[in-house]
Amino acid sequence: MVKIALVSCGTEYSGIQKEIEKAANKFGAEIILPEIDLDYIDEAYEKFGFSAQSSSLKLMIARAMAIVEGKSKPDAVFIATCFRCAEAALVRNEVRRFIQNNTRIPVVTYSFTERTKADELFIRMEALATTVTRRSILAREKQEGLTLGLDSGSTTTKAVLMENNQVIGTGWTSTKDIIESAQTAAAEAFSQTDYGWDDVDGIGTTGYGRFTMGQEFKAELIQEELSVNAKGAVYLADCQKGEATVLDIGGMDNKVITVNNGIPDNFTMGGICAGASGRFLDMTSRRLDVDITELGPLAVQGDWRKAMLNSYCIVFGIQDLVTTLAAGGSKADVAAAACHSVSEQVYEQQLQEIDIREPLIQVGGTSLISGLVEAVSETLGGIEVIVPEYSQHIGAVGAALLVSGMGYRQDDK
Amino acid sequence: MVKVAIYPPNSLILADLIERKGHTPLVLQKQIRQKIKDPEIDSPPMNITEEDPIKGLKYAAIEVPSGVRGRMSIIGPLIDDAEAAIIVDGAPFGFGCIGCARTNELSIFLLRNRDIPVLELNYPTNQDETYVMVNEINEFIDSLEETGEE
Amino acid sequence: MSENLCPKVNMGNEDWDPDVITRMIILGPGARVSESEIVGEFHMLGLPLTIKNTCYGSMISGKKDDVLKAIEEIRKLDPPHIFTKERGFAPGDPRRCRGHRFGPREGFHQMEKEYTILGYVAEALENPKEVTVEEKKPVKVDDFKEIMNDYIEKNNL
Repeated sequence: MVKIALVSCGTEYSGIQKEIEKAANKFGAEIILPEIDLDYIDEAYEKFGFSAQSSSLKLMIARAMAIVEGKSKPDAVFIATCFRCAEAALVRNEVRRFIQNNTRIPVVTYSFTERTKADELFIRMEALATTVTRRSILAREKQEGLTLGLDSGSTTTKAVLMENNQVIGTGWTSTKDIIESAQTAAAEAFSQTDYGWDDVDGIGTTGYGRFTMGQEFKAELIQEELSVNAKGAVYLADCQKGEATVLDIGGMDNKVITVNNGIPDNFTMGGICAGASGRFLDMTSRRLDVDITELGPLAVQGDWRKAMLNSYCIVFGIQDLVTTLAAGGSKADVAAAACHSVSEQVYEQQLQEIDIREPLIQVGGTSLISGLVEAVSETLGGIEVIVPEYSQHIGAVGAALLVSGMGYRQDDK
Repeated sequence: MVKVAIYPPNSLILADLIERKGHTPLVLQKQIRQKIKDPEIDSPPMNITEEDPIKGLKYAAIEVPSGVRGRMSIIGPLIDDAEAAIIVDGAPFGFGCIGCARTNELSIFLLRNRDIPVLELNYPTNQDETYVMVNEINEFIDSLEETGEE
Repeated sequence: MSENLCPKVNMGNEDWDPDVITRMIILGPGARVSESEIVGEFHMLGLPLTIKNTCYGSMISGKKDDVLKAIEEIRKLDPPHIFTKERGFAPGDPRRCRGHRFGPREGFHQMEKEYTILGYVAEALENPKEVTVEEKKPVKVDDFKEIMNDYIEKNNL
């Protein structure tokens, strides 16, 4: 059984201990607390060198030290502290780095509130358990043979066909029936090549519809999107070593994943505000009567400061933009203001929860809107933002990459 | 009999010295017992649920981390009940309820603002300082009796 | 699936009774009675208590009035060296028992630390005396200057 060490502060008093355990158990893992004695706590704390006032954070540091020094031998580590606690956030990140720099044990971090439920922790625990049991798969850095990656998202379904470390076909369709949409997207990808379903070595599936597709197409790999997207992004951006952040501003929800050597270690997902989503830009382009593909270049030419925008809200914000246009404002400035607004709202809602590491790899359909990419970089103080080729097909690329070496369909023939 | 709040609220020495003089130390463990002996709640180990950090809003605003509010929901009622308080600075802290520095700062502040007799001491580092601590605590408790009798 | 953090609680009726309390009895260094004598004495009292021998002394559990009465009696054996502390969880409660939980109990480390001055506390209780401790103050600026200049001179800096 996969043993996950809990290195945390405040979980019991926020009433979420049971939720953590429930999430771990669901993925065949058990939670353990690294056992240490009092002298060791003081010794480890001194050695680590972070002067924390809270004794529970000292205990956290000592537990991390016990893992690094091999006194406790878990397969994975879950680091969690209270949301909005500055002292704990500092310790959480330093402890995370300490374990990652000194061991090969996978780590996932989280900042919780009393409302944190097991469902939110599932994907993290699944990613942790996967990293342990499938380390060899995640270590893959090159695609081989002919593989098909299918990503069934809540709005769109993507397919990518890869051969010898190259993307040779892509497909994209809006998600209706999971299987039919996957077939449509795959057919589009195949049509760009001379291959068909019978030629592939293996199929990998990811996204919300991964189990349904996996069963239908007898996929060799069915994998949650956290590991797949992270892997796909660092592969395409050529950042497989070291740290990176993957940002996907989606049509309905957003994902931010932090990655260390190609393995995800923290993740936030938002989906409560349309003003922080691609939908805001979709509505703006309709109001401006331009195609969504033209919005980015238009925004790059404009200056967001010249368009009045008093609200991030998809209702009131869009209304402000319309008012600006009516008062004779330029379309470019309005487009820039819309991109700026989405980027700021993503920052407010999500990016603050996570430690952003450079480079930031922006993926998903909205990464093709150049004005938004520019706005994200500006919002984050001018950090390096990479938009790799095929960034809109990230999950499918990740799935095609990871499944390579796992499928032997052609051997049977 | 005077109800004396102590800080750290789970200190063996403080609780014992107060009880020796026939007063009631307000200790954390009693609060914990109330929680864990409620068979209606199934949230081991402490039986703290999402509701407790919300109860903690009485003591700290919503922007304060859930761990602080959850702890305050346990420690807060002790502060409310206190008729006197002994606060020891620099005492060794355990790692549970009192493992959070922010909770401790808030609790001590609330005790100081209760308009009750408060004794503040430093945790001893040697024998002489221990004598001073024991003497001061005994004198403080005796003075409570005098005020009580008036 | 194993539940290490949140074990299932399977306790007797008595343990769920809010009127049933648990006390730890801790013997300070230099105590004139032993752990086993304490346990023996508890048994002799004939009160309806659950008595357990532990590494630091003993643990008793029972109705509040009985527990407090027992403690009053037991203290008489060696007043300055017998200390007592409340415990929230009943003895052997899986939610707090080290055996079930892999990690140590949160409060245990603090008790270990407090134990280190328990001998002094016992001494102060047994032989009360007035003691004054000089409060440490930062060194005076002039003294500090003198020491510094002295050091510079001696080391030819």
